[in-house]
Amino acid sequence: MKPAPFDYERPSSIGEACRLLDEAGGGATVIAGGQTLVPLLNLRMSQPFILVDINGIDALKGISRVEGGTRVGPATSQAEALSDETLGRHLPALVTALGHVGHYQTRNRGTIGGSVALGEPAAEMPAAAVALGATIEIASVRGNRSVKADEFYLGPFMTVLEPDELVTGIVYPDWPPDHVVLFREVAQRPGDFALVGMVGALAIADGKISRAGLAWFGMGPTPIKARQAEVALIGAAPGEADAQAIAELAVADTAPFGDHRASAEYRRTVGRRIFVRALREALEAKETA
Amino acid sequence: MNVQRSVGATRYVGQRTARKEDGRLLVGRGQFTDDVRLPGMLHVTYVRSAVARGRIVSIDTEAAREMPGVHAIYTQADLAALPVQMLSFFFAPIEAPVTLLADGRVACVGEPVAMVIAESRAQAEDAASLVEVTIEEEAPLVTIADARTGPLVHPGRDDNVAAEMGDEDALDAIQPLIDGAAHVVTQTVHHQRIAQSPMECRACVASPDGTGEMTVWMGCQSPHLAARYLSLALGLPAESIRVIAKDVGGGFGLKNIPWREEVAVVVAARLFGRPLKWIEDRFEALTASSHAREQEATLTAGFDAEGRLTAGWCDYACNNGAWPMGEDANIAVHMFMWPAYKLPAYGFITRGWYTNTMGLGAYRGPWAMETLLRETLLDKAARRLGISPVEIRRRNLVYLSDQPHTSTLGVEVNDITPGECLEKLVANVDIAGFRKEQKEARRQGRYLGLGFAAYIEPTGAAGTMAPMTGETAQLRIEPTGKVTAMLSTHSQGHGTATTMAQVIAEQLGVLYEDVSVFEGDSAIGAFGPGAAGSRQGVIAGGATWRASQLLAEKVKVVAAHLSNAGPDAVTISGGMVHVEGAPEMSRSLKEIAEIAYGEPGRLPEGMASGLEAQFRYQPPPVTMTSAAHCCMVEVDAETGFVKILRWISSEDCGTVINPGVVEGQIAGGLAQAIGQVLLEEMPYDARGNPLAATFKDYLMPAISDVPDFEYIHANTPAQTIGGMRGVGEGGAIIGPPTLVNAIADALSPFCEIEELTLPLTPARILDVIEQRDVSGTRDRANRDEAARARDEMAEAPPLASEVSAQGPQASIDGDWNMTLKAPMGGQSFLAHFEADGAELSGYLSAPDGRQDFSGGTFENGRMQFMVKVDNPMKVTLKYDLQAGADTITGKCKMGMFGTAKVTAVRV
Repeated sequence: MKPAPFDYERPSSIGEACRLLDEAGGGATVIAGGQTLVPLLNLRMSQPFILVDINGIDALKGISRVEGGTRVGPATSQAEALSDETLGRHLPALVTALGHVGHYQTRNRGTIGGSVALGEPAAEMPAAAVALGATIEIASVRGNRSVKADEFYLGPFMTVLEPDELVTGIVYPDWPPDHVVLFREVAQRPGDFALVGMVGALAIADGKISRAGLAWFGMGPTPIKARQAEVALIGAAPGEADAQAIAELAVADTAPFGDHRASAEYRRTVGRRIFVRALREALEAKETA
Repeated sequence: MNVQRSVGATRYVGQRTARKEDGRLLVGRGQFTDDVRLPGMLHVTYVRSAVARGRIVSIDTEAAREMPGVHAIYTQADLAALPVQMLSFFFAPIEAPVTLLADGRVACVGEPVAMVIAESRAQAEDAASLVEVTIEEEAPLVTIADARTGPLVHPGRDDNVAAEMGDEDALDAIQPLIDGAAHVVTQTVHHQRIAQSPMECRACVASPDGTGEMTVWMGCQSPHLAARYLSLALGLPAESIRVIAKDVGGGFGLKNIPWREEVAVVVAARLFGRPLKWIEDRFEALTASSHAREQEATLTAGFDAEGRLTAGWCDYACNNGAWPMGEDANIAVHMFMWPAYKLPAYGFITRGWYTNTMGLGAYRGPWAMETLLRETLLDKAARRLGISPVEIRRRNLVYLSDQPHTSTLGVEVNDITPGECLEKLVANVDIAGFRKEQKEARRQGRYLGLGFAAYIEPTGAAGTMAPMTGETAQLRIEPTGKVTAMLSTHSQGHGTATTMAQVIAEQLGVLYEDVSVFEGDSAIGAFGPGAAGSRQGVIAGGATWRASQLLAEKVKVVAAHLSNAGPDAVTISGGMVHVEGAPEMSRSLKEIAEIAYGEPGRLPEGMASGLEAQFRYQPPPVTMTSAAHCCMVEVDAETGFVKILRWISSEDCGTVINPGVVEGQIAGGLAQAIGQVLLEEMPYDARGNPLAATFKDYLMPAISDVPDFEYIHANTPAQTIGGMRGVGEGGAIIGPPTLVNAIADALSPFCEIEELTLPLTPARILDVIEQRDVSGTRDRANRDEAARARDEMAEAPPLASEVSAQGPQASIDGDWNMTLKAPMGGQSFLAHFEADGAELSGYLSAPDGRQDFSGGTFENGRMQFMVKVDNPMKVTLKYDLQAGADTITGKCKMGMFGTAKVTAVRV
C-alpha cells in the first residue's frame, strides 16, 4: 500500500499555489490535512503527478470576522476551529457539527477546508456549510470567484471546483445572537461517517420563525438542503409548527441510497425521526425561552 | 508488586503479575517481522486477480520488468520449478489443487497471480500496477445458493461440495421425535463473512543461505508448526528450515499455517537466492487473507411440556470459498453442540461449499455456531413456554452431579461446569431488580434486555489430530543462579512468557524476575503447535509445571547431599535453598549452581553435572472449559441502535495462572463477539468483489463499542498437571448468543427475531420492531431466490460417478493398496479380498491394527461390505465399490462422518 510516485510542492502563497495548479494542467492535487487523501493515495485510487501542500500558506489559516459573517481559512485544523472563541460565539452549529467530525486524533490534522472541498455526502462539514448558507471563496490564475455552498456540490466527492482552483476561504453568514442550533446524527460508531444526519439553525423574531437553514448528510449524493421544510417553517410560530409534517417535507427533498450498512428505507425512516426530535427540541427551547 | 520472601510464602500462580512482554511492546521495541532488515533483502508484492472467476488468457510483464528497481517477476510457471504440496492445518493435502500463484484460472478476487521482486516495496507496487493480466471472465458463484446449483468452482470435481458429513437417513428416526414433541422451536442463523483483521497483518521474510538452509521470519501462531508445514509442503528436511517469530500482533487462526503468499515468498527466496520480505497491507488483509464464518444453519429442537429437550436436528452449510485452508464441513459444530445438555436424540447434515470467494480459515472458536444456534434457540423456547432463560437451562444442563455423561454423538464429559457457572452468575446478578427496572423503562418507551448463555469448549486437545501434540518444557538453572526456560509456546499477545515464568517461579521457588523465557523460534524447545485450540495454558503450563518440579527435586538432592540432610528437609524459596533445622546451611541457588556446573565431584555419585530438567507433557486428549455469561442492553426503538450496559462473565478455566491474562483473553473474545453481532461484515457483490476494502467500510469494534466487562472466576481444577483449562476462545464463542439473547429480550414486547441475520444492524433491528422490511434483507433474499430458480433451469453438470463406465467382472481376490480420502486427511492401508461367488470377505490392515469382515456381496463388479470400527469412535463403515481389472473406486459411508472417496490398486 504505497502511493504511486508524485512530485511534492509546498508553496508559501496563494498565488504560487494557483500557479502550480495551473501548470500541472489537471495533474495536481491539493493536500491539507491528508486524512482522506493519504489513504486514497496509498490505495492508488488517487494518483496525482504533483501534490501541492498548502500548509505553508499562512493566508489560508485562521478564523476572522468579516462584514456580516465569519471567515474560516480552509487550512485551519478542525481541532483549532473547535476551540476557537469567535466560532463558538457566532457559529455554534458549526462547532457542534465539528465535534462529530472524525476522532480527536484525526481532528488535529484534518482541516475545515479539506472536509468542505472533498464533498463526502455523509460528512458533517459540507452539510453545515449548506445549512448555514456559507459562501466558498475560490482562487485560480484565471481569477477569483465565490460559490454558494448549496451550489458547490454536484455529486459524491464531486464539486464545481476546477482542477486549477483552490478554496481560499469559507464565509459563514452571521445568524442572530439567539438562534437555535439543530444537530442530530446516527453513526454506527462514534466518529464514523453518519448513516444519516441533519444540521441547521433557526432564528426567531417577533414570535415567528424568521430564518431557517437546514441540511441533511448521508441522505443523497450531496449534502441536501431541506428547502421545503425551511419554507414551511418561516413565518410559523414555534408553538404551532407541526414537526412531523415538516419532517415529511424535509425527507421529501432527499434521495438516499442503500448499502450494506443501511438501506435507503432505513435512512428515510430514521432521518424523519431524528429530524422530528431535533426540530421539537429546538422549537420547545424557543417556546420556553 | 509486594512479594513476600519468607519460606513457603512466595505465590505467583493466581497473581496479576506484570507482563514480561509489556516493556518492549509499550515502548515500541517489539520485534515483529517487519522489523527484520537483512543485507541484500528485496521486497515482494503480489499482482492479484480483480476477477472472481475465469481463464487467464495472458500475463504481460514486459513493461513492469523495465521499471526501476525491479529484479524479477514470477508467475506460477516460474515457481513451479520447486514443487509444493499445500496442506491443511491437519497436514492433509488440500483437496482443491491450490497452487501458490494462479495456474491458468482464477477462482476468486484477490487471488495472487504474479509476484514482483524489487528493491523497495514502493518500486514493487509501481511495477505491479503495470503487469497486465487478461482474464476471460465467467459468471462467478458467490453464495452458498450459487454453489448448490451453479457450475463447478473447481473443474474436475464431482460437485461444489468441499466437505460433507452427517447422515441424512438419520432424519427418519429423529423427525417423528420432533413431530411428537409438545413444543417445536426452530432457529435459523445467517452468519456473515468475517475478515480476521489481526492488528499485525500477515508477514514473511525468507533468507536462504548457501547450504540449502533457510531462515524464515513469519507472523505465525507457532514457529515449530510453521517450520514443519514448510518442510512438508516443500519436501525439505525440517531441520533445514528455521522459523523465528518473536512478536506477532494477533493470530486468531489466520496464522495457524503459512498460506499461499508466505509459502510463495519462501519458494521465491530459494529460487532467487536472496532474502525476500513480504508485508501484507491492510487492503490485502481485508480482501485477500483467509476469511472466516459465513454460515447458514437451521436447528430444530423438540421440547416436552416442561421444557425438556427431546430431540434435535441441524442442517448446516458454510461457504468455504475457493481455496479454504482445508476443506471443512465443521463437524465440531455438531460434536460440541449438546454434550452440556441432556438431549436424547440428535442428527445433522453438514456441508462446506466451494464458491468463487476468498477461502476460509480458522477463526477463534471455529465451531462457535453451535453455541449461537443452541443458546438463541433455548431463549426462543423459554419465551414460547413462558419460563425464564435461567430456568430452561436449569432443566436441561448437565450439572456435575449428572456426570459422567455421554452425548448422543458419543462425547463423554466428566468435569464440565456450565450449570455451576450459571448458578454462580445468577447469584451475582440481581435478576428481579433488573426485571423491575425493565418494566418501568418500557413504560417510558425505553427497551432494556437481559441475555444469558452457557457453553462448554474442548480445549488443550492433544494426541487425536496431526499437529495437536503434547508440549515440551526445557529448564535450566544457569551457573548464575538465574533460570532459563526454552519453550515451544508462542504469544501473539497471549503473554506466555509471563504465565510460564509465574509457574516456574512458584514451582521452583525462585523470583519471577530471575526467570527468562525463550520462545518464538523453531530452534528453541521441541515441537508444539503453539496457540491453536486454547491449549498453551493447559499443555505448556502442565509441562512447565512438572519440569519445574523435576528441577526443584534435583536442587534438593544436591543441597541435601552437600548438607548431609535428607531431600525432604530442603526447601527452595526466593532463590534461596534452605535446610530445615540448619539455617547456617542456607545457600543461594547461585552457590548450588556453581557447584553443579563447576565442581561436579561434589555432586552425589552418578548425578549428571549442571542443573537441567526437561518434561514433555501429554495431557488427556481434551480438557473442557465451561462458562455462563449475561449481558444487559438498551435498544433505541426509534433508531435500532444497541447500547451494551453491563456484561458479566462467569467462567471455569480451572487453575488461573494470571487473572489479568485470563480476563484479557475473555475480553478480547467478547470484543470480537460484539463486532460479529453488531458491526463487522465482509459483503460480496454479485460479481464476486469483496466490498469492505478499508476499515472505513469494515467496522471493527472500537473502544467506544466495548464495555468494561465484569469477571467471576468459578474455578474447578482440571485433571491435568496444574489443573489449567484453556480460555483463549471462550469469549468469542459464548459472546454472540449472550448479546443476541439480550437484544431479543429487549425486543420481546415487539416481536421475536424470527431468523437471525448477522450483523444485527440498526436497520435489521427496526425490521423486528416495525415488522416490515426496513433493512431490505427480505428484498435481497427474494432476489437470491429468483437467481436460484433461474440457475436451476440451467442443466446441472454431469457427475463423474454417473459417466464412469462399468467394466466386466474381474477377479478381485488378493491384496490391494487402498486409500480412503477422509475429511481429516487421507488414510492408506492394505485391503485383502476373497470372493466366493457373490459372497465377499477379507480384511483391512493398517499399522495400528487389522479389521476382518465377512458377509459382503460381490455382484457385477460391485463390492458392498461393512467394517465396524471402535477407535477413535464407534462407527460402522459401509463400503460401496466398483472393481475394475487393476483398480477399485467407490465410496465409503462413515456414519455421521460423511462419505469418503475410496481408490485401490493391486499390490
